[in-house]
Amino acid sequence: MDNPTILAKQNKGKSKFSALERVKNKFVTRSLTPIMLYMLFFSLLPMVWAVVLGFFDYSPIRAGSSFLGLGGQNPFIGLDNYRAMFLDTQPARVFRSAVVNTFMFALLVLPINLAITLPLAVIIESIHERFKGFFRAIYFMPTISSSVAVAVMWGYIYHPQQGLLNSIIRAVGLTPPKAWLTDPSAVYFGIPLAMIAVIIAYIWQDFGYNLILFIAALQGIPREIQDAARVDGANAWNTFWRITLPLLKPTLLFVCVLTMLSSLQVFVIFDVMTNGGPRNQTTPLVMSIYQNAFRYQNMGWAAAISMVLFLIILFVTIVQFKVLRTDWEY
Amino acid sequence: METYSISTSGKQNKFSIKRLFSQSFAYLILIFGTLVTLVPFIWVIFTSLKPASEIIRIPPTFFPETWTLDSYRTIFTDPHVPLALFYFNSFFVATFRVVITIFTSTLAGFIFAKYKFGGKDAIFGFILVQLMIPFQVVMIPGYLILVKLHLVDSLWGLIIPSMVDAFGIFLMRQFIEGIPSELMDAARIDGSSEFGIYWRIILPQLGSAIAALGIFTFMGTWNDYLWPLIVITTHEKRTLPLLLTWYNSQHGTRYDLTMAASILVLLPILIVYAIFQRRFVRGITMTGFK
Repeated sequence: MDNPTILAKQNKGKSKFSALERVKNKFVTRSLTPIMLYMLFFSLLPMVWAVVLGFFDYSPIRAGSSFLGLGGQNPFIGLDNYRAMFLDTQPARVFRSAVVNTFMFALLVLPINLAITLPLAVIIESIHERFKGFFRAIYFMPTISSSVAVAVMWGYIYHPQQGLLNSIIRAVGLTPPKAWLTDPSAVYFGIPLAMIAVIIAYIWQDFGYNLILFIAALQGIPREIQDAARVDGANAWNTFWRITLPLLKPTLLFVCVLTMLSSLQVFVIFDVMTNGGPRNQTTPLVMSIYQNAFRYQNMGWAAAISMVLFLIILFVTIVQFKVLRTDWEY
Repeated sequence: METYSISTSGKQNKFSIKRLFSQSFAYLILIFGTLVTLVPFIWVIFTSLKPASEIIRIPPTFFPETWTLDSYRTIFTDPHVPLALFYFNSFFVATFRVVITIFTSTLAGFIFAKYKFGGKDAIFGFILVQLMIPFQVVMIPGYLILVKLHLVDSLWGLIIPSMVDAFGIFLMRQFIEGIPSELMDAARIDGSSEFGIYWRIILPQLGSAIAALGIFTFMGTWNDYLWPLIVITTHEKRTLPLLLTWYNSQHGTRYDLTMAASILVLLPILIVYAIFQRRFVRGITMTGFK
């Protein structure tokens, strides 16, 4: 970075900085200080505050002390919020089912998404160059759509009498479920029907994103590697499993982590399509945080739940990195 | 699938029955996928073009028997739905967030890529840590901060807390590191200030990165729901997604109206997508953004 030739004037003083360095430092200080102060206020402060809130019985409608409204009628209760998660109370039961729902959702979405997007990416890569862009553009359309609009659309598609889906099911001579989104007794393989319905809509909206990442990764694999395998007598199937798939591992890791992260944080589609029902069968953690904090004004409890979500996300990410890490590149 | 189709794209032009078969199979799957993707959109568009009397018919029609724009007319003339205002709200928030995010991300990214200073690694580490923090964790204190700043129920409350984007800084640093420093030195010889280097040398070279960050910030803001749901309470200040859920709750069984409203919310972003489709795709592969 140093380039002494361009120094306009060398300072004669004992200063250990050249004039240029002083100019640079001034620029860095002036530009970065406001950004850093902003981040301290809008990022670090909320992070620390969220941790602190989890140790208080805090509600914004009660008077607290002058320091962040904590203390006073919003007392410090130590780990009580976290202990309460294991009790046999209504809020604790809702919380625990939200944890189960969130995991159920994320663990179903990930494999289904991969089972669709990876083969589809391979198929798109196999067709004539001229049509690739067309299919890619179509498949990506739901992904750019507003989640709220998608949820409203699918709510109608699932309508028991007037919906498109049941009409199709009836047209082919089968008996559709009597209600996709509101029947608490409809449970298949331990998965509530409403959850299945939301998963289908969610994957419909979301698959284009991973598809594009896989297509890009496939295009990045040097032709020669696959050709070499073919010359050695490997068929297409073997080439895919032994050559292509291992080379996709870095992308696979990336896709898995991002898909998990976003499905663990799911909210909109549940809020609009099922509002958590029937009987909390489709309440994810984020909805539980939102409702406790902003509907019941129980922010201490909600903050504690948000910490659990954070730990889950951290844990899942670390596990995926450990399992899928590769040390080599091509 | 034991064919050439899997690994080759047009390179093997050798005609064979096997290849023809596998290609047909590939197109069959892709066309099926296209139908699954498009039919819900088409169904919604058709529904919005049916008269109210046709909506309640069981079994429902797929193609409208009577084509009408009644549902759109009803929405446009509804005094409770000043559509232009809601479009303005969404555009206002999205525009400010895009412009400000691009500015702060490129400026900070430039500094982290091209300058040395004390504590640089620690500060950059702090920025990376933020990437790990889910929004839902900072959402509650974020709201309490807005209350203190008197920004609740204001469009500025949707802009001010997200003017600096950790991911944007990270992305821009990656790109700017690839720009040769010699250009900067040359500009210094010509008497350029450091900010001038940023403005005249660095920024013009970031076209595709800025486009990617801009597109995804716009999309994220346009489709954002949870934060506006918390911050905005006055009807006139709603953004489009909030308007849609409100409208849906008001006209739950009038599917001609709610589907028309969904189309109206979807339309602007679909038009932007139709124009910049290639940039969207390139942006994703470049950033891995979500």
